[in-house]
Amino acid sequence: MWSFGFFEPVVIFTLLNVTMALGLYITAMSGQLSMATAAIAGVGGYLSGVLTVKFGVPFIPAVIAATAAGGLVGGMLAVLTAKMRDFILKLTTLAFGEALSVLAFNWDYIGGANSFTGLKLETGLGTCVVALAFALYVAWRFDGSRLGIAARAVRDDPLAAAAMGISVAALRIITFALGGAIVGMAGAVQAHYVLVISPSDLGFFVSLNYIIFLLFGGMQTMWGPILGAVLLTVLPEALRFAREYRLIIYGVIIIAVVLWRPDGLVRRIPTGVSKRFMGVTFGRGLSARTQAMQAKVEPAR
Amino acid sequence: MDLFLQQVCNGLIIGSTYAVVALGFALAFSVLRVVHFAHPDIFMVGMFAGLVAANEVPWLALPIALLAGAVGAGLIGYAAERTIIGPLRGRDILTTLIGTLGLSIVLQNGMALIVGPDPVPFPALLPRKFIDIGPVMLTLRQLADFVLSLFLLALVSAFVRLTRTGRAARAIADRPDVAAAFGVDVPRVCQTTIVFASAVAGVAAVSVGTLYGSASAFVGLTYGLKAFTCMLVAGNRYVEGVVAVAFVLGIVEALVTGYVSSSMKDAAAFVVLIGVLYVRPSGMFGSYAT
Repeated sequence: MWSFGFFEPVVIFTLLNVTMALGLYITAMSGQLSMATAAIAGVGGYLSGVLTVKFGVPFIPAVIAATAAGGLVGGMLAVLTAKMRDFILKLTTLAFGEALSVLAFNWDYIGGANSFTGLKLETGLGTCVVALAFALYVAWRFDGSRLGIAARAVRDDPLAAAAMGISVAALRIITFALGGAIVGMAGAVQAHYVLVISPSDLGFFVSLNYIIFLLFGGMQTMWGPILGAVLLTVLPEALRFAREYRLIIYGVIIIAVVLWRPDGLVRRIPTGVSKRFMGVTFGRGLSARTQAMQAKVEPAR
Repeated sequence: MDLFLQQVCNGLIIGSTYAVVALGFALAFSVLRVVHFAHPDIFMVGMFAGLVAANEVPWLALPIALLAGAVGAGLIGYAAERTIIGPLRGRDILTTLIGTLGLSIVLQNGMALIVGPDPVPFPALLPRKFIDIGPVMLTLRQLADFVLSLFLLALVSAFVRLTRTGRAARAIADRPDVAAAFGVDVPRVCQTTIVFASAVAGVAAVSVGTLYGSASAFVGLTYGLKAFTCMLVAGNRYVEGVVAVAFVLGIVEALVTGYVSSSMKDAAAFVVLIGVLYVRPSGMFGSYAT
């Protein structure tokens, strides 16, 4: 494998964060941002860690188990929040994550407050590339599938989607489970690189990082989360020269993006709206047939 | 029994601080529909404003420090409203959340840059004195903090219920469009609300600094999530509901600390939160529609 020497940890964390962001992106496709990403990643991490350390299970089956567990927890979360409205749902996922963090803190079998240690280094650059490729493939296929289109319909207008015969609750469970599975996998891979999992890794502020990736990059297409995760993982490292000002600059950049680009850096240009920028046309214009029909209808308005 | 009563008193005192911070969240969330994550850090700025004032002006230190806390936090609150919260009003709730979170990062690390990342001693504004009240023993500082918090809570309640701006704020919380149609100057009322909530938090912060004798750039983290939980459990419709929940949370925490273990106290809060939200998604006392 190639070697990035000094920058290798940054590259690995970038790959892992992009994987996590893609998992969250799939979860968010049905319109609900989960604020328990770190907790689900932590479930994957703890489970795979316990399997490899205490039961001697090889790395790959442990990651697969973590993927399944992540999907299960994600699905459970969707069932728990099925009846809830928008904002309350987000906050329940938040509380769910915090509760898991506290559980890990008090469970001595998995190390409790002292963190779970003893993991062996299994993850290298190659593992992360494979995990990311898997996540990319799933996100890309899901994006274009019937389910993905239905999920976006639910996001844009749950009522209208339900009227079209889409089961909103079922779709939410699917997106939460699928996203949770990817996050669980990423968590397991990450755990075998960091080699220690502590209860605070499951907490709200870690989850918030992943949400910031999505909001920063834009969550309408899968490229937004990818760009957001890459930029915001590399940025703090690139700002190291600024020493103690680094986090302040980081905060200012986040504020600036939110103020000037509230939909995130990458936006989807809706069909029918095309924009010209530096001589290049972006976005699909309306088809000739639609334009002709509109021209017929237009005078009547 | 003595331990029980003592812990209930301790819980009431910590709960009163949760209540003051939670009210700031509730006002920002109900009136502007903004999750104001920088609010606990504005609280922190108030604490340091009081610290500086108390060190610079040794005579009459307490009232001047309290005033400085209110002014310092109020100014930061005003700046935050003008630059971030105001322009983002009406945006998706997560956008505003990330915006205020960015501000929170800037405030915390900015202050850590000035005063250092470690807690610094807070000047003793009140003498260290114990007071026996029946079976429980409190310090003068605890008592002063509690009384001041009660006063602040009453002040917020009076602002919301009795003043013209407060009534306008409630109207905006209910239906911003209708309030605007009836001639309410929405941006100005929002501004006043944020500045008022910030100033109140600043005063409470100086009192908390005196109580514990230390101030830290990261003190907001201690109160932020708990106060936020209180607001969610209670719902943001009634100021008094938020206060009641904050007191209950403080007491439960103190009792769990006293009888079970201090590491379980955080679990208590979040278990209650999930339970309440599952049964009553808009909080125990109801929320404005979002």
